[in-house]
Amino acid sequence: MPKWLLHSLLYAYFGGFILLIAALAWFRPATHRDNSQPIAFPHTVHAGQLGLACNFCHESVTQGPQAGMPTVDKCVSCHQAIATERPETQKLLSYQEKGEPIRWRRIHQVPDFIYFTHKRHVSSGLDCSACHGAIEEMKEVRRVRSLRMGWCLSCHRSRGASFDCATCHK
Amino acid sequence: MDRRQFLQMLGLVSGAAALSSCGSEKGQKELVSLLVPAEDGIVPGTETWQPSTCCECPAHCGLLTRVRENRPVKLEGNPRHPVNRGGLCLRGQAALWRLYHPQRLQTPLKRQADGRLQAITWAQALTEITEALQLSRQQGRKNTWLAGRTSGTLSTLIEELCDSLDIERLAEFEPFSHAALRQSYRLLLDQADLPRYRVEQADLLITIGADLLETFLSPVDYTAQASTLAADQKRHWMHLEPHYSLTGANADDRLVLTPGSEGALLLWLLHSLASQSRYQSRWSQTLQDLLPSTDLAATAGATGLKPQQLQELVSRLMQAKKPLLIVGGIATGHRNGQPVALFGALLQRLIALPWAGLDFSAAENYSRVGSLLDLKDLNQQLAADRIGVLFVSRCNPVRHSPTDLGLKAALAKATLRVGLADLADDTTDQMDLILPLAHGLETWGDTEPRRGIVGLLQPIASPRQQALSEGDLLLKLLQQATGKSPAADWAGYLQQNWQKRFSRAQLGQLMEDGYLFEPQPQPSIRLDQARAAKALRNLQLQAPLTLPAAVIAPSIRSFDGRSRSLELLSEIPDPLTTISYGSWMAVAPQTADRLRLRDGNELQIKTADWQSTQPVRIQPGLATEILALPMDSLPAPVTGIDPLTGEALRYVEGLQLNPTGKLHRLPILAGSPSQHGRGLIPKPVQRKKKNDLQHHGPRASFYPEPEYENYRWTMAIDLQRCVGCSACVASCYIENNVPVVGASDHLAGREMSWLRIEPFYDKHGRVDFLPMLCQHCNYAPCEAVCPVYAAYHNPEGLNVQVYNRCVGTRYCSNNCPYKVRRFNWWQHKRTPPLDQLRNPDVPVRSKGMMEKCTFCLQRIRIAKDRAKDDKRLVQDGEVTTACAQSCPAGAIVFGNLLDKESKIYRLTHSQRAYRVLAELGTEPGVHYLRPE
Repeated sequence: MPKWLLHSLLYAYFGGFILLIAALAWFRPATHRDNSQPIAFPHTVHAGQLGLACNFCHESVTQGPQAGMPTVDKCVSCHQAIATERPETQKLLSYQEKGEPIRWRRIHQVPDFIYFTHKRHVSSGLDCSACHGAIEEMKEVRRVRSLRMGWCLSCHRSRGASFDCATCHK
Repeated sequence: MDRRQFLQMLGLVSGAAALSSCGSEKGQKELVSLLVPAEDGIVPGTETWQPSTCCECPAHCGLLTRVRENRPVKLEGNPRHPVNRGGLCLRGQAALWRLYHPQRLQTPLKRQADGRLQAITWAQALTEITEALQLSRQQGRKNTWLAGRTSGTLSTLIEELCDSLDIERLAEFEPFSHAALRQSYRLLLDQADLPRYRVEQADLLITIGADLLETFLSPVDYTAQASTLAADQKRHWMHLEPHYSLTGANADDRLVLTPGSEGALLLWLLHSLASQSRYQSRWSQTLQDLLPSTDLAATAGATGLKPQQLQELVSRLMQAKKPLLIVGGIATGHRNGQPVALFGALLQRLIALPWAGLDFSAAENYSRVGSLLDLKDLNQQLAADRIGVLFVSRCNPVRHSPTDLGLKAALAKATLRVGLADLADDTTDQMDLILPLAHGLETWGDTEPRRGIVGLLQPIASPRQQALSEGDLLLKLLQQATGKSPAADWAGYLQQNWQKRFSRAQLGQLMEDGYLFEPQPQPSIRLDQARAAKALRNLQLQAPLTLPAAVIAPSIRSFDGRSRSLELLSEIPDPLTTISYGSWMAVAPQTADRLRLRDGNELQIKTADWQSTQPVRIQPGLATEILALPMDSLPAPVTGIDPLTGEALRYVEGLQLNPTGKLHRLPILAGSPSQHGRGLIPKPVQRKKKNDLQHHGPRASFYPEPEYENYRWTMAIDLQRCVGCSACVASCYIENNVPVVGASDHLAGREMSWLRIEPFYDKHGRVDFLPMLCQHCNYAPCEAVCPVYAAYHNPEGLNVQVYNRCVGTRYCSNNCPYKVRRFNWWQHKRTPPLDQLRNPDVPVRSKGMMEKCTFCLQRIRIAKDRAKDDKRLVQDGEVTTACAQSCPAGAIVFGNLLDKESKIYRLTHSQRAYRVLAELGTEPGVHYLRPE
């Protein structure tokens, strides 16, 4: 086999991989990025401009493992009078009319075998933004931290929190 | 960039891309905004506890139901409930399995001409029933209602329905009807119910046939009481039975007598008492003279007991201050059943009633229950074409009537047969209409298992599809048939009745605690000499049964067979034989030797008109001429009806034994019936050896001493209290999402139970039970060999398995001397809706992972979280494991060893404390308390 053929085969082989990765990287966001929520809820308005506290809506953040999602009732308690003409508010009101819960797409999630409790993290004085980023500046919520074990542990280490596997691993 | 770097980069990039594109989106779930807030105080992701009542057997233990995300996920005994006082048996644990059972009936079903079932609507079903009711009335046929034991408001409603629709309410049907006992109490003491026996207070307990720990009246209650008695060295418990039951295994003395000779024994005891001045005055001379005569030699001959044993029995009885006798179970299930029950009741009257050992103020409510004679009567009426519509609710008379009664054929003569059930059984197979009943956790209701106790049922789950509570069903039927109904729905009907019966405060208490308990006055009970004389006058004591005989023994796993369809209970091995799935027959080692049988060899036993062929399981301690057949092994676990009492006959006598030469593979889960002298449960003799060990000086170790700061979680298991009932095992299965793998995996040695009960027999056939679970060793052999640090020792003494680190080398399991680690050979999926029976605090392990007991890490976490809120440490008694919680005998204690005031500290420093295989130097965190 001539040397040039070997070289070009090798380049083609590895180059093919690079092209494949590039293609994946290019098309993935388009196909997989379905970040759209059922209602385009702007945290920029609620948490940003209005300055509502996080636990105004995410009520159980200080009481239990889950921060909790506001009930449709709670949203409507304001929105029956405020900004009712906006299309997104109309969507909200239609949920109430139909008697359907809103199924939001989940952005922050730890695996099934992990125990995570908001209550302990909030009560230790951690700010929501430590993990969730500047939500009040996000029109659409996105994950800004990896939520991977190494990232969790870096904070646990620096704050002197528990380093026992069983603290988080169920 | 050189070639090597390039390849590294390429590997990294392509690997990461492949990983990140591997469906990370799939794990995404939803966050749901509910319409309105959940009920007050419910924080998402946390648990609530709702009181309820167990309906798995007639004992009706009190429950606390753990609810997560609107689903019941775990049942626990209500610690304050007067019946079970915190314990819950394995069947009670499995009640959740019934709730989520994939085969639950969901819609009304109608049998077509070709025998197939077709789903119909409630309206159609009700119309059909009303029309049939009317038709049979016109034809002069009688409509009848046959139900299992019913109590509380439901009973009132049935009464109302039967009155207004002219339906005859038959005596209730229970396979364990205790008919002979009830007859004897009625004849001698004029009591229709069964007393609660105060085992706890007795100083001598003699049980004859009554399987207190398995199925007798209220197993959890009696397990708690009997284990307290057995744990006290000053008190004594003697059990007499022909076969080998779990109850017998736990008594201080187990005496084997010839089946059918219990009457002879009791008669001799009565005669022996007659000569005692202490008892002389308690009954008249006339009665004493009425008893047939007997003597020691004749009794010894009939019972097969040695004269010394009999004399010891009498002398113990004479010395005891508070002797208690309990007769029942299979002791009344033969042709001598009536004399056994009557002599038993008479003896109880003499020895136990004076110190209130029989508590009729807390009588078990059985007055409406009939016997097999009532079923025979129904059978005759059916055969004579006199029955129109026959309702059969919550009972299975087809299976529990003798085959020669021919009930199955007779049922066909009713114009319409309506079955009310939650799962299909032998009886619903004969029904024209099958109506689906809701589970006890899906409906409102009340129960009155005992005098003075009202238990609450409340809807914790929503009913499956179209299933209805029996109350709602009856009200709908009333509405349909008469055009009016006493209440809009069952909840409303209950409200009306409760408001009439209870004060506002009582009602509040019922809702809050899940039960109402008002001690009742002790009824005045006297022995009516004239009635007693009449009952005793014509009593015939027949000869004991001809040996070899087979005993059809009830099972702790399925009660009378009603829990048989719950797979979880087949997964948990029978405590004595450790067989999980399938049927078998227990044979004595000597008989097996004589017939050259080994475990699994098939044996046919037969008489002229009865035969059964089963694989054999050798049972140490079983009498030579006795075979024991679990009730579940037979298609009809009744061989006949005692014409005198209506009790089911549960013996077959004069058997021929024919080995067939076939071999079955039995899923026997115990490694060995013997301890092989290893001192796993050291007897006092072996304590010397332990001292020997200490004599060699402290064990040296290369490893640093483990240091624990706040907690060292530790368990103590009191083997003196443990009865081997397996409630802990069932509790562990449910709490920890332990997979149920089925018979084929059990045969391959791939059982998954985190906690097992090992029976160890000595050479006399006596058994000790050793609950075996992860020992959470200080120097755990599993941790050292894990190549990926998945087995890890945490700073609180727990041996933690980090599931997602585990790569499944199984080195840990190989190196564990206790054999408690379980490997997931498959992805164990549960058929929906059983997949909803899942504790969300415990992950479901996937294929290729090792798992084992975690000391209920999730419960510790919850307790620590609560303690941290209050800025303190977890206190003693605040956290317990699922096994410890459900143990009816209170044999398991869990706690923090570093807390010197704790119960666990006291127990682990007891004289009796030892650790299994301590000589290996693993320093387990589970301490056992040696039986004395």
